[in-house]
Amino acid sequence: MPGHIVTSYDTDLEDLRRSISEMGGVAEKMMTEATDALVRRDTQLAQAVILADKRLDTLQREIEERSVLLIARRQPMAIDLRETISAIRVSGDLERIGDLAKNIAKRVVAISDQAQAQKIVLGVQHMSDLVQEQLKDVLDAYASRDVSAAHNVWERDGEIDALYNSLFRELLTYMMEDPRNISFCTHLLFCAKNVERIGDHTTNIAETIHYLATGENLAGDRPKNDASNYATVTPGA
Amino acid sequence: MNAAPAISASQFDGRNPADEHAPIRIAARELNFYYGQFHSLKNINLDFHDRQVTALIGPSGCGKSTLLRTFNRIYSLYPEQRAEGQVLLDGQNVLDANVDLNELRSRIGMVFQKPTPFPMSIYDNVAFGLRLYEKLPKSELDGRVESALRKAALWDEVKDKLKQSGMGLSGGQQQRLCIARTVAQSPEVILFDEPTSALDPISTGRIEELIEQLRSEFTIVIVTHNMQQAARISQFTAFMYLGEVIEVGPTNRIFMNPTVRQTQDYITGRFG
Repeated sequence: MPGHIVTSYDTDLEDLRRSISEMGGVAEKMMTEATDALVRRDTQLAQAVILADKRLDTLQREIEERSVLLIARRQPMAIDLRETISAIRVSGDLERIGDLAKNIAKRVVAISDQAQAQKIVLGVQHMSDLVQEQLKDVLDAYASRDVSAAHNVWERDGEIDALYNSLFRELLTYMMEDPRNISFCTHLLFCAKNVERIGDHTTNIAETIHYLATGENLAGDRPKNDASNYATVTPGA
Repeated sequence: MNAAPAISASQFDGRNPADEHAPIRIAARELNFYYGQFHSLKNINLDFHDRQVTALIGPSGCGKSTLLRTFNRIYSLYPEQRAEGQVLLDGQNVLDANVDLNELRSRIGMVFQKPTPFPMSIYDNVAFGLRLYEKLPKSELDGRVESALRKAALWDEVKDKLKQSGMGLSGGQQQRLCIARTVAQSPEVILFDEPTSALDPISTGRIEELIEQLRSEFTIVIVTHNMQQAARISQFTAFMYLGEVIEVGPTNRIFMNPTVRQTQDYITGRFG
């Protein structure tokens, strides 16, 4: 695409893109480190994740402010308007992803003194690995404006929901086996829920990429395999 | 993902939806235009729907004003300018040699970039065209003048000084006076050639509000360099470049998601 006649307009949009990509990098790192901290019960790493969230919040506010200014100053049209609106949306999703990663890190601090079988954590780790891959793919798709890559992310979210569902049942079972597991498993359950919601935000970003590229909003339901809303486990059953 | 129905901006046109089924009031058919040797309009085919505002946008020299000027044959004042093809007004070709130009221009009114009040009273400015075509008793003429000034949203500002010169009004008021003069003839179509480019933002707002109201009675074609204005007040937009229509469609689609690359480059300010 040729540049704008007013070159500072290009600079404005380029700045937005750069900030989004920085936010993406920070969010990705927070999520990876929060998961590592959980697996290793590493409170120092968890503290680092909690601190990193400040940068993400600052970046999000900057992007919002810059987008508002850009709309006021330049009245963007067509692809430029969609790019500006997309920047606001994506920065919102990335900021939420940071909050959820931070929440995992806080729980790591809370459960750090509890000795539990490592196998209980592995399920959450596996799910987090999948979501991290989703997040990486969707950020790449955003940077390259690749709609079909975004569609792939959107469709894979069903797997994550299914995984969360089975994890939910597994953790309930551990809790019933031994009430001393309850505190630890409840925190883990929240961690798993956070990971699942991070997955939802990556699909939001995928939807935004679709809008950015085509000018149309995706409606309708994406593949949902989360049945945990209805799940119960009866002791002794 | 393919099964998901799409939502697009055109669903939210609110009270100003583009009505693609509205009857066609004016149609250009294989229209070519020449300034002497210069081929200015190239094979234009374009429909203008009844009671819809159609905006013509494009860089200077793309032919949008020329296209406007063929509709009421105002170009025929200049011997070296000629049009070929058809401009159909309600199915009748206005380019035919036997068309009565005075009648044509009472059916297709025009408002220009610079306000062009005649050097006479406000009242006489509006009554001018009416006196030309019709012999009306004084009381009826008064009524028609008032009605035209009301439609042009000028009545309240001038009702106490109808005998004063139209030249004494502000730029925005002069422009509305010209609109009143046009409206008084009860035309079917009103052509606006950059009607607000010489006006301040407040007068511009008044004219835009007025155009929206006039749409309920008239078919409106507007040439504008102000992209946001086209986006605000029109139902259809045609983008022209180098004498050709590049893309035409409902305004919201053209400004949110144009399909032709040149349109996108132009409306986003990327054009070379």
